[in-house]
Amino acid sequence: MRAGAGRAWLVGLIVPVSLAIAWETGVRLGVVPGRLMPPPSALWHSALGLARSGELQDHVLATLSRIGIGFAIGALAGTMFGLLTGASDLARLLLDPTIQGIRAIPSLAWVPLFILWLGIFETSKLALVALGVFFPVYLGVFSAIQGVDRKLVEVGRVFGLSRREIVWRITLPAIMPVWIASLRSGLGLGFMFVIAAELMGASEGLGFLLLDGQQMGRADSILVAMITFALLGKLADGIMVAIARPLLCWQDTVRERL
Amino acid sequence: MSKLAIEHLGKTYADGTEALRDVSVRADDGEILAILGGSGCGKTTLLRLMAGLDEASGGAISVEGARISGTHAAISAVFQEPRLLPWLSVAQNIAFGAQRLSATERRDRTEGLLDRVGLGGYGGRWPKDLSGGQQQRVAIARALIGHPGILLLDEPFSALDPFTRASLHELLLGLWQELRPTILMVTHDVDEAVFLADRIVVMRPKPGRVHETISVNLPRPRDRISPVFDTVKRRIMHAIDRSLGEQGRVGLRPAAGGHSPWW
Repeated sequence: MRAGAGRAWLVGLIVPVSLAIAWETGVRLGVVPGRLMPPPSALWHSALGLARSGELQDHVLATLSRIGIGFAIGALAGTMFGLLTGASDLARLLLDPTIQGIRAIPSLAWVPLFILWLGIFETSKLALVALGVFFPVYLGVFSAIQGVDRKLVEVGRVFGLSRREIVWRITLPAIMPVWIASLRSGLGLGFMFVIAAELMGASEGLGFLLLDGQQMGRADSILVAMITFALLGKLADGIMVAIARPLLCWQDTVRERL
Repeated sequence: MSKLAIEHLGKTYADGTEALRDVSVRADDGEILAILGGSGCGKTTLLRLMAGLDEASGGAISVEGARISGTHAAISAVFQEPRLLPWLSVAQNIAFGAQRLSATERRDRTEGLLDRVGLGGYGGRWPKDLSGGQQQRVAIARALIGHPGILLLDEPFSALDPFTRASLHELLLGLWQELRPTILMVTHDVDEAVFLADRIVVMRPKPGRVHETISVNLPRPRDRISPVFDTVKRRIMHAIDRSLGEQGRVGLRPAAGGHSPWW
């Protein structure tokens, strides 16, 4: 497989492409009903239609801005609290039990309360996304700090670094790989929670497109929304990996974490 | 006045284990001292106390007559593992040892040391790309870049193969001749101690105490296969034998050629 490593990813296309062809053929032959299971050609047409009218772009933009803002808030808060409880014994004893307790509540259970507190519009949606992102990032940073190699910290002490310098020059670089991994899982959860938020009631966004498709009996727009989600999720993750890669090239792992 | 004076040092850990009892050792300026003993002698504990990484339960450590506590600018260390910071390049790792120097000074010394430890051209690599022996060379360079008055070595060559170890012994001696730090080296390798040290402190276990101090009056460079080298080794081995008392007179009699039998 070495020689073809550049094209190895093509292997991954075999299954989805064959499925699509089988599906298309099945519908054309009248074996499967095309209305509830629209074939790839129909999906392509409705995606094109949605894109031409500008609708798809509006939905994508609405969803992405919710994820972007929610992710930024959740990731920032998760990182800050994780650093705090990871680095300070007092903060850990004081805050971690509460945070772990709140984590035990399934995040979707917050929906009614958020709507009651923050209204049905944007704020409650952002809050839900931020909450979903917060926990994996918090846990990642917190446990990474606990797991920083004592031996490297000792190197800092022997060479005369102050406590603050040890945090900046040893602790933070050491937790970088786990932090980035936790941001990635946070981003994944952000995508999950943005759908939940948009399904609760929205006038735009890909979640709205899903719900609208269900109410109008249009399986094609549901599927278009789902596929768009998949592409966006993959793209967002890819961008994150691309940004993170130069920061982590020093890692000595069999397979890179990314 | 000694460069380094350890007086009546004791260490009892929180769980009640007494690791060191009443240890007194002095080292002169530029002297190489080997601290020799088996496991459980408190060798590493002793070094950690000197490095300021642990706190003594009793006694005192002084550098040039002044009592110290905690880490000290004049004391540097090489550990059993290289302990390089994996996110810094080889050159940055060496420079890490010189926190107090100006940027230009640090760069010049780093360049010089890279060549000196045989890693010229490796400055931009990551630690993960180096072999164990090369990593330990970087660790030695990092420990010496600040020109410390005292260098602590905690079994730094124990994980390396005999060939690499011998070349690092030469490297260490060469750097010592240039910079003349006082060296305290913990080891369980008799050969290594006799090859490097001016004096050898034999420790005795449970709790760790000084058993005997032996001077190695051999001129440098020392020849590992000369008869006098062997004679000194035998003296050390007898001292170790005595230090173990009744419990452990096993396997320490040197066989012909000065090597312990493989069992």
